[in-house]
Amino acid sequence: MSEQMLEQVREAVEGQIDFEGQRLAEMLTTVLLGAAGIIAFLVGFAQQDIKLALYIGLAGTALTFLVVVPPWPFYNKNPEDWLPPHTISAPSYSIDVDGQKVG
Amino acid sequence: MHSALVRLQNAFGFFTTVAFTVAAVIALSSFVSPQSPNAAMQVRNVQVVKGRPHYYSYKKEEYAHIKFDLDADLTSLFNWNTKQVFLYLKAVYPGTRSEPSSEAIIWDAILASSSAPWHQNHYIHPTTGKKLPKKSKKAQLAEKSNPASPYPIGELHLQSQRPKYQITDITGKLQNRENVTLELGWNVQPWVGALTWTNWQTLGVWKGLEGGRSDVFQFPEIGAKKVDMKDLKTEKGAEGYRLEVGGEQPRRKSQ
Repeated sequence: MSEQMLEQVREAVEGQIDFEGQRLAEMLTTVLLGAAGIIAFLVGFAQQDIKLALYIGLAGTALTFLVVVPPWPFYNKNPEDWLPPHTISAPSYSIDVDGQKVG
Repeated sequence: MHSALVRLQNAFGFFTTVAFTVAAVIALSSFVSPQSPNAAMQVRNVQVVKGRPHYYSYKKEEYAHIKFDLDADLTSLFNWNTKQVFLYLKAVYPGTRSEPSSEAIIWDAILASSSAPWHQNHYIHPTTGKKLPKKSKKAQLAEKSNPASPYPIGELHLQSQRPKYQITDITGKLQNRENVTLELGWNVQPWVGALTWTNWQTLGVWKGLEGGRSDVFQFPEIGAKKVDMKDLKTEKGAEGYRLEVGGEQPRRKSQ
């Protein structure tokens, strides 16, 4: 019982996402942070207010962290299936390493 | 990017890059903000008196005490990236024989921009002597705790200003020195970027300082004029007392 709960906690903290999700998360980090920096400078310069630039930059960063760090469901839309268990008698696949059959 | 910790590290890593880049662009933006400072100053009264560097000193030195007028428009030094401007007025005079010429600051001020948080050492421009319409008690109190400058930030009009510092030099002799000028200097301190000092030449959109030097005068002989002790007072600065190591905490006057 407690082990099951620990497992759940571990999974929640680790927050794993699939490969497509990783590509998306990386792209979102770059775009959001880059946009926050550019907007922070442009708005601050237009308003001649450096504190405004600072706060826009920090708010954009906080938003990026919120979007990217937790394992949101849309990062897990293309789960990669495990290979079928090895013990099945006639394997329907074969793994070749340098021409040698290993699996 | 497979786990939350890796994503956190990745996002933070890119955040530092963005923050540094934006800071660099802000620092560079100072150089495209046009500047056209000008200043005019006149010497009002120069006196040289004998004195001692401190109470227990046996050494007698000569001290010059220079009163001046200053009209300066430095408003264009304040752009969005300016935190404060340290403004100073120095007396420049050639050495007697082998010494190089001397530069000594006689007055200075910290001009804070509107984005800087309040500090007791920020310069408060003295108000003009003109009688203003009477204000309510509340307004008077507010004025007392937060006195407003009568001019925009960076504009100064000082008449017969007392110096903050009396000056002497390594020889200890100042009387009859000639070719003395007053020179204005500043140090712009930005929020991010490089410190810049007085520019006499035009660089891009930064015009050189117009004026900024007084006419040539000389330090008179000791006793050339009758000394009025009132004339020898130095300005303490309305901006409060400087806190020094071991110094006493300034006491606020009870209202």
